[in-house]
Amino acid sequence: MSALRWGCGAAGLGRALVPAGRRRLLAEEGAGALDGIWGRRRSSSASPCERDRRKDWGHAELLEVLEARVRQLQGESVSEVTVKRVDMAQIPEGSGSSFQLSRKAEAGAALELRGRWAEKLDKEKRIMQKRKQRLEVKLQAHSQKPPREQQPRPLRVEPRLKNGQLAGCLQRWARGSPASPWEEQLAQVLQEAPQKLSCEEVQAPADRGAEAQLSGQRQKLLAFFECCLLTDHLPLAHHVLVTQHGNFRRRWLLTLAMYNTVMLGWARKGSFKELVYVFFMVKDAGLAPDLLSYAAALQCMGRLDQDASTIKRCLEQMARDRLQVQKLFLAVPMSEEERAALLTAVRKVKPAFSPPPRPTPRVNTSPLLKDIYAQGGPVSYPKLHLPLKTLEDLFQQQLRVELATTVQVKSVEKAPPLTSEVLHARETLRSLRDQWEAALCHELQEIKAELARRAREGRPTLYPHLCLLSEQETAQMLLQVLQVLPPQGESLIQLAYQLGTRAFNRHVVQRKQREHQVPALQRRYSEYLRLLACDTQVDPPRLPRQHWESLGGPGGEPPPEQPWPLPVLVRLGKQLAEVLVRAVRMPRSPGAPAGAEQLIPVLYHVYSFRSFRQIGILKPHPAFSQLLATAAEPTLTFEAAEVPMLCPPLPWTSPHSGAFLLSPAKLMRAVEGTIQHQERLEHCPPAALHGALDALTQLGNCAWRVNGRVLDLVLELFHARGCTRLGVPPPASEAPRPPSRRPAPGTPPARLAELRREAARCLKAARELRSLRADALYRLSLAQHLRHHGAFWLPHNMDFRGRTYPCPPHLSHLGSDLARALLEFAQGRPLGPRGLDWLKLHVVNLTGLKKRESLQARLAFADQVLDEVLDSADRPMTGRKWWMAADEPWQTLACCMEIARAVRSPDPTTFVSHFPVHQDGSCNGLQHYAALGRDSAGAASVNLTPSDLPQDVYSGVAAQVEVFRRQDAEQGVRVAQVLEGFVSRKVVKQTVMTVVYGVTRYGGRLQIEKRLHELQDFPQEFVWEASHYLVRQVFNSLQEMFSATRAIQHWLTESARLISHMGSAVEWVTPLGIPVIQPYHRTAKVCQGWGRWLGPGLCPLPASAPSPPRPPLVSRRPNTLKQKNGFPPNFIHSLDSSHMMLTALHCYRKGLTFVSVHDCFWTHAADVPVMNQVCREQFVRLHSQPILRDLSRFLVKRFCSAPRSQNFSKNIQMRKLFQTLLALPETGTFDLEQVKQSTYFFS
Amino acid sequence: MWVTVAGLPARLTLSVLTGAGRFSILGSGVATRKDLPEVLRRGFSDSRPQPLPCPDIRESSSCVSKCRLDYKRYVISRRLAETLAQILQGKRKTPQLVLECNPGPGILTQALLETGARVIALESDKTFIPHLESLGKNLDGQLDVVHCDFFKLDPRNGSLVKPPIMISQMLFQNLGIRAVPWSAGIPLKVIGIFPIKSEKKALWKLIYDLYSCTSVYRYGRVELNMFISEKEYQKLKARPKNPNLYQALSVLWQVACDIKLLHMEPWSSFDLHTQNGQLEKTKRRELSELIQQNLCFIRMTPRRNLFTENLTPINYDVFFHMLKQCFGKRNAKLVDHLHSLSPVDAKDILTLIRKHENVKITNICPEDFKLLFETIECSKDYNCKWLCDDIMEDRIM
Repeated sequence: MSALRWGCGAAGLGRALVPAGRRRLLAEEGAGALDGIWGRRRSSSASPCERDRRKDWGHAELLEVLEARVRQLQGESVSEVTVKRVDMAQIPEGSGSSFQLSRKAEAGAALELRGRWAEKLDKEKRIMQKRKQRLEVKLQAHSQKPPREQQPRPLRVEPRLKNGQLAGCLQRWARGSPASPWEEQLAQVLQEAPQKLSCEEVQAPADRGAEAQLSGQRQKLLAFFECCLLTDHLPLAHHVLVTQHGNFRRRWLLTLAMYNTVMLGWARKGSFKELVYVFFMVKDAGLAPDLLSYAAALQCMGRLDQDASTIKRCLEQMARDRLQVQKLFLAVPMSEEERAALLTAVRKVKPAFSPPPRPTPRVNTSPLLKDIYAQGGPVSYPKLHLPLKTLEDLFQQQLRVELATTVQVKSVEKAPPLTSEVLHARETLRSLRDQWEAALCHELQEIKAELARRAREGRPTLYPHLCLLSEQETAQMLLQVLQVLPPQGESLIQLAYQLGTRAFNRHVVQRKQREHQVPALQRRYSEYLRLLACDTQVDPPRLPRQHWESLGGPGGEPPPEQPWPLPVLVRLGKQLAEVLVRAVRMPRSPGAPAGAEQLIPVLYHVYSFRSFRQIGILKPHPAFSQLLATAAEPTLTFEAAEVPMLCPPLPWTSPHSGAFLLSPAKLMRAVEGTIQHQERLEHCPPAALHGALDALTQLGNCAWRVNGRVLDLVLELFHARGCTRLGVPPPASEAPRPPSRRPAPGTPPARLAELRREAARCLKAARELRSLRADALYRLSLAQHLRHHGAFWLPHNMDFRGRTYPCPPHLSHLGSDLARALLEFAQGRPLGPRGLDWLKLHVVNLTGLKKRESLQARLAFADQVLDEVLDSADRPMTGRKWWMAADEPWQTLACCMEIARAVRSPDPTTFVSHFPVHQDGSCNGLQHYAALGRDSAGAASVNLTPSDLPQDVYSGVAAQVEVFRRQDAEQGVRVAQVLEGFVSRKVVKQTVMTVVYGVTRYGGRLQIEKRLHELQDFPQEFVWEASHYLVRQVFNSLQEMFSATRAIQHWLTESARLISHMGSAVEWVTPLGIPVIQPYHRTAKVCQGWGRWLGPGLCPLPASAPSPPRPPLVSRRPNTLKQKNGFPPNFIHSLDSSHMMLTALHCYRKGLTFVSVHDCFWTHAADVPVMNQVCREQFVRLHSQPILRDLSRFLVKRFCSAPRSQNFSKNIQMRKLFQTLLALPETGTFDLEQVKQSTYFFS
Repeated sequence: MWVTVAGLPARLTLSVLTGAGRFSILGSGVATRKDLPEVLRRGFSDSRPQPLPCPDIRESSSCVSKCRLDYKRYVISRRLAETLAQILQGKRKTPQLVLECNPGPGILTQALLETGARVIALESDKTFIPHLESLGKNLDGQLDVVHCDFFKLDPRNGSLVKPPIMISQMLFQNLGIRAVPWSAGIPLKVIGIFPIKSEKKALWKLIYDLYSCTSVYRYGRVELNMFISEKEYQKLKARPKNPNLYQALSVLWQVACDIKLLHMEPWSSFDLHTQNGQLEKTKRRELSELIQQNLCFIRMTPRRNLFTENLTPINYDVFFHMLKQCFGKRNAKLVDHLHSLSPVDAKDILTLIRKHENVKITNICPEDFKLLFETIECSKDYNCKWLCDDIMEDRIM
């Protein structure tokens, strides 16, 4: 079959490509095409024409060989050749068709050749003729067939095998009567030992770049097969598999996972014949079937009700391959129904077989978490304030939202007066959108047809991915994205990523719906709610995750959908973006009637240059942006996963399941393109993650509500002119306006240059303002949307170090002062005896006024300013506006209001407060360092030791710097003298704060320089020198005060440097068991350009147009600088996140409401003392662990346990690393227990 | 004739005397490349001969070691210096204002002074300054020496301004140079050699300054008289006839300036001089490749009619953007580029500039690029002419 195609291409093209006058040129082109084949990169993106030409490269090569031979022979007997030279140039080499061959032969015959070389040539000629004849026979056979276009060839079913024995076997069976059963064949195939690949392995490229590309191609193939299964295109998948398998040069791309995928598809359908074909291919490829393969085979047999003997042989073979039947039920993810089929098959042979029971859930054994998972003991897990019935209603609401995938929210932007202009714009937009939807559907159909055609040619395309969603849905999704595209455009890669992700999310939701998972979820969730609702009890008390897991059916959960690999996401996204660019058009001027005028595209591919790098941007036509602005439509559309949830989130149970009801979620957010985290998490034993899973679940279970009074005030400002100081961005009309574009002619160029600078400044300001405004608009609109909901929830996930973040991006408690002030706990709690005091302390803390005073002094100050507090609460905008001067004005105002209400209530101790009170760690990074190094002096300066007044590390450093300065000044150092009186807390604060997180001298100097610039009376000519001097002194002072800290930092940095030099990214495990890997890798251009990403043949721009930039993909090689500089801060962050999670879990056990913003812990005013106690205890417990020793041990095991390699320098590196890792920094004598008494540890 | 050399550093003298070179390359700080292993680095600096025996410039050794690998070329042949001075003087009688970049040993400076010109010597290497200052002792203000790097004037990235990096406005104010209108004559001439390793970078910086009328071009049509490598010169002067050399920079410079070749000086007469005699292999290869070429002395005079109603210092960046994009994929058709440059109908534009539909980028001459830009800029009935209109921040360097 393929030989036929080959001949056809050769002949047809050969004829077409032999014009009389361009022979030489053609030959060159032929050579070019030849180059193309060898480079793999071109083979898939070549145009069809090129592909055909390439088919006959064998002939071209033949001719070349012949030509070379002639030349060689000529060389041997020059005299003869000079007379009768074969004019090789006349023969068009590039397209070796039968036509040429015959000409060649004729030319040969026409010459009367004598001599040795003539004989040789003659012989070669005869061979050529024979080949030609063979080719012609084939051509004839083909010419009788109808052309390809009219009747698509049937999809291939039978594989082409390389192994002769297998192939013969297959042929016999294929021809055999239907009586000869397929199953026997299977048994026989199974017994065949896999043929070891020899040549293929040699071929496999060794270098890393090619490897990355290879895995990209494999991902593409696997994604294609998997998606075909989902969209019921199994015959197509099989066809592609057979084609790829039959192509020996591409076969090594296929992996067992791909064969297994197709096999599983056939098993589900119960098509035994095709399944056996795949088995043949597996064996032919020299792969050994694994559990998945056997599971598929047995499942198929179970469905078909095969007789026992085949199954028996299958099981016997399995035993010979050392695979256990029990494992089939444990290790292979299956649906309930597949499991049943499998069981049927197995029971035919072993009637007594029963699937092994699911292992009892493992309990985390980490010493830190012992208390949390201990059975018994006093436990009072908190309950929500809502009854079961309400919660079930809320669940229904949330389910509706997620099924709809988007949420329409009314914009809080002031509606424009409905002038005819506005109405007209809205009308135009509406009609345009209708047109666009139709155009998009049409375009999608065309693309799909094209991709389907290409898939039938045997190559993996995006066709099945485009079939996942209906055309209407895709079109609507695209229009939503178009709606929110900023006027200055968005980078194509980002847009593609976004589109791909959205498509994936929609697909996941639809799949769950299709597979009837929703009713099951509903049942399970309402059972689960009994744990949380205030009017039901569950006994024994359990953590939400434990309860949820206990409610699962016997078969376990359906496996969560694996996220698509990034290249697939981006490829799909780009394809969709391209559809959008091509389909969406608008009239040139919005006023013109539709159809009357030529339509212009709405979206353009434009390019931006950063330095000399080109960045592709998709930009809407300004007229379209203008139209949107004029229409000022009153609704905003959000994705369901961008809005807080209306019911408690699902507990996290695995890296991919939790949070939203249907939308997919990730436990760990990853920097785009890094997959290493996911791999680590997948490989983690499930119990090791329990700490993180439970802490995140618990943070997500906190119910929130909107603080309506604050929201009203903010909205008032937002509708008026905004207020930059209070964090309410002014409307776009307040932006500085650039001068009119065209100055009078004849203006001198220098003046024009000034105008330009001014315009650029305005533009920049306006753009910043616009993005700030949009941000505030989303936040406030969502807050307004949710204000009448009694409660909503913010599901949490974490970053790669374990720091936690709420998933909904726009409205959450993590953010600016304004964002924090908008939210409060939905659940209230009476203030109790000391609650009011904590509110008062909190308001003082928020003002930032009494940082260095004791709690008593702060409380006294609060009573002193109570009048101001009440005034602020009563007349926030008209009164004395005391709150506006605070560090955190909006939170101060919210707190003032709460205090006012509490004070005026008849009994403040019973006043139900919803207000969260914060406790902040004082320079939390240094606290962890000081505890790690048991550094007494350092510990004292960051409040690890009890003292009457809070210590202020910044003042301490400033004082130490001053000591050094005075010494230098006495020595006569000029800078030190100049700096007299300028060394203050403010100057050094930022640097000290950031030193912990790895700021370098360079960065520190810039920070200090900025501070010095702000000082009015500092002689500015000394700024550079002084900043240099100061940063040195700050580092010295820190060294003096926190000697252990610097030693630890240095040790961490040095280890990271050595690890990175060995070619690995730094990894560790947090004390809670979360695997961390630093995602800093060198970017590698894995893909070779646009065509490749978009799929061949679908270049969006004409082939000659500028190519857009390539998306940087992450290679496996670490970026040493970032790995090295990142390790100390990331390690400390992983510790502070562990501390937070421990505190969260213990607070939960004590029944507290607890949330956090990294090192700032929130709870109800009444519970602050309890939280503080837990927080201190857990800090002590955390640091009682041998953290650094564990780290060292882990790193040694991970990086120094490889066997000695041949590479000498590798061994030396490993040895050096080993020594460094063992040389743990010395620790001091600080007694950790003191932390428990330290009032100001967190305050 | 050799007298002037007497005050020079020993190394320099040596090279001048042994090889009859007309230039000298001074490599400074060869060994301070970051990625050299520690040991090797130390070895280098130990073996580096103390280059500057001049008593009055003792502190400079530290200064030299800080610089990265960067070779400087200096005119040290008296004959060449005189030729250059004559070329610069031309037939004019009136003394002129000349800004000399990195004069180094000051041989050219001397020649210039002798023609009566007023010379401002901007020297980036502190080492030479005392000697240069001594040249102008008896000349009553005819020579000003400033520690300044001409090619790093007015840094754009907001980095630290510390000598030798300076702000041109302050520099010129101190020197008492006044701005001259664009349409008037030439306020001053600059003479120098483009930095050997970053000619392209310097050309880009200058062309940005020129079109935006900032930095030195704030003061009018400053004329550059520069030595440039032959290869770069060919690129600068390339026309569609040499599609391989033709590039965005050629178009920009040819549109902006009248470029004239004044003199060619072969590199062969040039003694390759490095401070410690041994270089890394790659470096040596790079240099030896350079030495194969000639150095061209060219004059670049900004055109009086560069700015028109449609091409101004306000919208020049769009012009730059257009060219960068076009030459990003130079073998493409202009039509294809136009689609992602401007929403204006591409066919109309091509008719207006009388170009065929299939015209390729490399077939369009610089003048036509300007015409193309102006045609789009003044196209009627489009309220949006450029798609890249508001991407104003794209910058080089």
